[in-house]
Amino acid sequence: MIHSTTILTIVLMAFATYATRALGYAVLGNRTLSPRARTMLDAAPACVLISVIAPAFVSPRPADILALGITALAAFRLSMMATVAIAILSAAALRFALG
Amino acid sequence: MQQAIPLAPASSRSGECTRAVRVALPILVALIPLAMVLGAQSARKGLSPVEVALMTALNYAGGSEFAAIGLWTSPLPVAVIVGMTFLVNSRHLLMGAALGPYLSHLPRRIVYPALFFMVDESWAIGIADARSRAARGLLPAFSLTFYMCFSLMFWVTWFSCATLGAVLGPVIGDIERWGLDMAFPAIFLVLIRGMWTSMRAARPWAVSLVAAAVTYLLVPGAWYVPAGAVAGLITAWFFAGEQT
Repeated sequence: MIHSTTILTIVLMAFATYATRALGYAVLGNRTLSPRARTMLDAAPACVLISVIAPAFVSPRPADILALGITALAAFRLSMMATVAIAILSAAALRFALG
Repeated sequence: MQQAIPLAPASSRSGECTRAVRVALPILVALIPLAMVLGAQSARKGLSPVEVALMTALNYAGGSEFAAIGLWTSPLPVAVIVGMTFLVNSRHLLMGAALGPYLSHLPRRIVYPALFFMVDESWAIGIADARSRAARGLLPAFSLTFYMCFSLMFWVTWFSCATLGAVLGPVIGDIERWGLDMAFPAIFLVLIRGMWTSMRAARPWAVSLVAAAVTYLLVPGAWYVPAGAVAGLITAWFFAGEQT
């Protein structure tokens, strides 16, 4: 079952998203940047990533905050796979224990 | 501090793809439940599996898809959904600009299709990989084969598992109970760890985190992502001036 309004929405979403992917590169990606602008763009990756997960840091559930703390410690030392496993297990265990 | 991303000395095409598979596997394992939950939620809002497949394959940006499904009511608020999609994904503007210098050796007919596959993970890993290759004197620093192998696995996993989630629908319960949602911040924290150089360079990150968290608590919608990113960039701008 396919609805025409749904398809229209999906196609417009796809255009909006591709525009965000292409425009930043098209406008700024080929310029020679000043050292200061370079420093700024070098900081951009981590600033974007940490902003996306910021809501997890202010979760109202103590179990989630504790699990996130454990996950952050694991992320400092361990591989991707181990960190993900610890994150899932600690969140499940702490939610079970603390609600 | 680059052990998050295993590296091989050679850069043959198949070697680059093998490396991408090794890097991608743990991330894909965490991505599968997330995609299936999106599919199940979409089905609950009345989308058919074909529609879920189209949305996740063509739009291909998870955050905006969760936001869109949250806004999905009848009649469809098309303009609101499309506007929110642009807003949630506005971070791509910055990401594309940051990726630009690494793509300067590639023709546009390759760059623009490759940008379609730019998501948080492929972008962060592509840049981290390019930086570590550059540090070891490998040229070009950005490995297109590595990036595309990673991206195609990520893309296919995303839309196929979302579609599967839509088909299975009600069989999938609440993933939060199982702790699977914590995989998402875990992946991001490991990616951020890979970008660590010094406490000094990390100061903007702390500002981003605080600004995004405060915005998230005070302002409804997805404004916290651009707010946190911009706050961090302004901080980086100020500290860059201090160094010179």
